[in-house]
Amino acid sequence: MAINHLELVSALVDGQLTGSELEQALELVNNDSSVREAFMRFQQASDILHGYTRSITQAPLELTTRISAALEAEPVYSIPTQNKPTAKLLRFPKNFWKQATGLAMAASVGALAVVGVVQQQTGFNGVPVASVVANESPATMVSQSNRWTVAEPEIEDRLNNYLVDHNEYVGTSGMFSYGRVVSYGTEQ
Amino acid sequence: MNVDQELVQRVQAGDKKAFDLLIMKYQQRIIHVITGFVHDPVEAMDVAQEAFIKAYRALPNFRGDSAFYTWLYRIAINTSKNHLTASSRRPPMSDVDAMDATNYYDAPELKEFETPENSLMCVELEEAIQQAIEDLPEDTATAIKLREFEGMSYEEIAEAMDCPIGTVRSRIFRAREAIDKQVKSVMGEEE
Repeated sequence: MAINHLELVSALVDGQLTGSELEQALELVNNDSSVREAFMRFQQASDILHGYTRSITQAPLELTTRISAALEAEPVYSIPTQNKPTAKLLRFPKNFWKQATGLAMAASVGALAVVGVVQQQTGFNGVPVASVVANESPATMVSQSNRWTVAEPEIEDRLNNYLVDHNEYVGTSGMFSYGRVVSYGTEQ
Repeated sequence: MNVDQELVQRVQAGDKKAFDLLIMKYQQRIIHVITGFVHDPVEAMDVAQEAFIKAYRALPNFRGDSAFYTWLYRIAINTSKNHLTASSRRPPMSDVDAMDATNYYDAPELKEFETPENSLMCVELEEAIQQAIEDLPEDTATAIKLREFEGMSYEEIAEAMDCPIGTVRSRIFRAREAIDKQVKSVMGEEE
């Protein structure tokens, strides 16, 4: 029995072997009776150092042999070796959140634009935008219709003022400018 | 993965011999625990055998959530209690914690297990081992003390002693050989 084999067995007793050395040590213990006895002696010495001396008069090999014999009738397991599933922490790239925030903001602005256009169109086709104003100023109504007549200079001036006020206001408040889609024409 | 985990996985994958190594590794400790309940040495060996067989049977369900020894210890305790119940003897009311089991020396019932011959041998062994360590070169003695009494890994010992891991392994092996020689002489197994 080579000295380095015994050194390997000593390290096995300490549980300090890994990889190919552990493999080699297990092979030696399983297949070489002298190595096996050395393992038991080293383990016994370690146990004595830790105070496990109550069964010291019993030959350790005897119990192992007894149990091995009793286990002969037991089935051999064939559970495939598998690594336990471990929870993986999903890591995003460093600039992921920056990009995601930018995309979210762009999406919000886009959604607002779409909603704004839809509302604007609904306003023109459904309830007239200036109907409240028209109601407040019945004197400006020049016909029986509830529509403003843009051709009249007074109405045109008021609409122009609304448009200018709106554009100036949104420029300072940070609101989305609806001015670019506000227009009027004689047909409306 | 530590050695125990490796051995358990081997048994689960069909390598029965790997279980022998677990028996060899833990039999002294398990008998030590069992003798806290079962005072007759022959009965204690039977209970130890039963505990190891139960452990083997339960091994497919062992998922490694706890250390193998802690799991085995629990089986040994339950087997001991069942043995006492089956033989109409009252098991101890309080359980013994795995970490405290090694300090369970002073329980009065253990005195039955400790025959004068056994006690004398224990004293002789302790003295012989003490002498063997004292006779070792200082570096070798320090390495084995750090390993066995402080529970340090080879890597930690290498760092503490400022030497390569291979040197630590070699020193510990030489210390074990010297201790083994002394143990053999006390137990009358001298070659």
